[in-house]
Amino acid sequence: MKLTYVQQFTYRDLPDDFAQRYPESVVTNPYYELVDPQKVRASFRNGLDEMMYAARAGFDAVAVTEHGQANYDMSPNPDLTAAAFAYATETGGIEVGVHVIGRTLGKTREPLRVAEEYAVLDHISGGRLLAGFPVGLAYDANYNNGVVPVETRARYDENLALILKAWTSREIFAWNGKFSQYPGVNIWPRPLQAPHPPLSITTIGTPNTTTFALQRDLGFNLVAFHGDPMVIAKPVFDHFWETAADMGVDDNPYRATYAQFVAVADTDAEAEKLYAKHIEYSFANGIGHIGIHRLAMPGGIPPMGLKHLMATMPPPPDGPPKYRDLVESGAVVAGSAATVRDRLAMLAKTFRVGNLSLFVQLGSMPHELTKHNIDMCASQVLPHLRPIWSEYDDDNRWWPVRLGGKAPSPKQAGITAGSAK
Amino acid sequence: MSADIEFRTIKIWNDRIDMRVQIKGQGDPLLYLHPAGGLGWDPFLNELARDHTVYAPEFPGTTPGNINAIHELDDIFDVVLAYEEAARKLGVTGGSVVGQSFGGMIAAELASSFPNLFSKVVLLDPAGLWLDDHPANMTIMACPPQAIGPILFHDLSCPGAQALFAQPDDPDVALDNTAHLIWTMGCTFKFLWPIPDRGLRKRLYRVSAPTLVVWGEQDALIPVAHGHEFARLIPNSRLELVANCGHIPQLEQPAITIPLVRDFLLTSIGSSPGTPL
Repeated sequence: MKLTYVQQFTYRDLPDDFAQRYPESVVTNPYYELVDPQKVRASFRNGLDEMMYAARAGFDAVAVTEHGQANYDMSPNPDLTAAAFAYATETGGIEVGVHVIGRTLGKTREPLRVAEEYAVLDHISGGRLLAGFPVGLAYDANYNNGVVPVETRARYDENLALILKAWTSREIFAWNGKFSQYPGVNIWPRPLQAPHPPLSITTIGTPNTTTFALQRDLGFNLVAFHGDPMVIAKPVFDHFWETAADMGVDDNPYRATYAQFVAVADTDAEAEKLYAKHIEYSFANGIGHIGIHRLAMPGGIPPMGLKHLMATMPPPPDGPPKYRDLVESGAVVAGSAATVRDRLAMLAKTFRVGNLSLFVQLGSMPHELTKHNIDMCASQVLPHLRPIWSEYDDDNRWWPVRLGGKAPSPKQAGITAGSAK
Repeated sequence: MSADIEFRTIKIWNDRIDMRVQIKGQGDPLLYLHPAGGLGWDPFLNELARDHTVYAPEFPGTTPGNINAIHELDDIFDVVLAYEEAARKLGVTGGSVVGQSFGGMIAAELASSFPNLFSKVVLLDPAGLWLDDHPANMTIMACPPQAIGPILFHDLSCPGAQALFAQPDDPDVALDNTAHLIWTMGCTFKFLWPIPDRGLRKRLYRVSAPTLVVWGEQDALIPVAHGHEFARLIPNSRLELVANCGHIPQLEQPAITIPLVRDFLLTSIGSSPGTPL
């Protein structure tokens, strides 16, 4: 297996009554009222240090994500922190993947800049970039960035096609798209990895995305934190592998990634003592404090999908979840090393995923405790998970060649040779 | 919905859009352009149909079973041309146009682009302008459902509001309706989001038809200052403010709004001579 450490640049010092006083962790949370600028600075310094610490501790890759106008991840452009990390690990001689889970392509109005930034990252890291392309959450793509919701998906498709063509085309080409037009595309640099870095898309599990990922041989990341993975994630992966079989696509587990919150201590009781309040902070003040109207906006989802979503949507909880509920439901995997590795191994095998993305710095978790969690994961959990799916280690097309992967399938970019419209 | 409404589907936009139109009444043709939430046949339209043949097209994408039509129109120029074509094919040119909110914006765009298309224009709290000091409340696209009512109505207990928000008994039908309403908002907001300003301000001087602008004084979605601005920018126009009224005067204050609109349509009133093009 490949185990990735995920860093978010969380503001870790919100007031205790934040969730009562403010309706959400995004969009309307007032910056000047809530932050001490020195603590924002500390979030970045500590976050970057934690990325380095995780890399040295032995994670296979370190990942960053994109979120604008959010206190749970102050990361409007993850390429910035990824660049710092890529350089530091290169000079430090650390063989670790640099995974940008995504510049969100439903959001960006500058697709060529994304292509260029990723190419630069690939060079700074010496070919260790893993390039992710999520669509983007509604609040970020449509509200923060003003993209018309009904056009989000079309913008994503066009931007992705342009980026892949800009990377791989040997000829200078004109681009007459609906969302962007360029008289001559000839970006410098092109990526170091040939033909391009391994690609993945991140989804919350919509069927269209599943088919798209399989058709294009793209890595498939599922992020779903809001409950029991056996209820929420399992049907998505079951559908993914059934679709793969129907399409005649191989069942290589390395094409799939599952993300999970993880907290490890000497015992289950110790884990609760150390981490409970920070994990509760994360759900109360961060990703759990975002209304459905921020995650879906009119026009983003067609009526049939909306109807399904509304019919299956669980009722809103009475209040922020407690640590024990989160652990019991499986939304968070926390406890002793044995508890955590057994649970993660079960999920990896059940979902048939070759990659786990582990969120290790959670909510208000301070720097020293985060390092402890990283140490516990790296020393007592990761070694037990790595042998899972080892029979596929020689055929990992979703991992940089420099780090032992194989070059991506030509299908990833090859399909994009068509026209812009 | 009354049983005597005719549903007619016309092909427009080089046959790429099947536009469904609801038609009722007798008399001179009147084009009614619905708000962002879609077309609902309400008592106001029945009143207009007493002395007009009301043609009410459903905005492309908002007709159940034909949702992908929204992807055929990319910008406001496409919308204006498609509607001008629809007006010709329906035979309503030379008649009146009445538009509410989003529909008011389309009506104003049409009357600006084609000054001879309509003989009279009625705009009910139209969208289409942006005033920094009096911004339209764009949270309506991204707010909890319970927040929508107070944005649209001054008095949520008024019969018009009660009728608008009434849900059918069958929960499955209610779910269908809600999903369709949300999609409809997604279609119309393609031309309103993130800021409902596609340059209409520059074009309003071209409107030559006598124009009645009606505004709810307590409109919490598009503040009444926009009414004064529309009246200032449209040469031959008159602004009527409706007291104790939110964004939808014909639903919240029908006893005031309906006679106001009918009188304007049936007699020629221009508060100023205007500058016909």
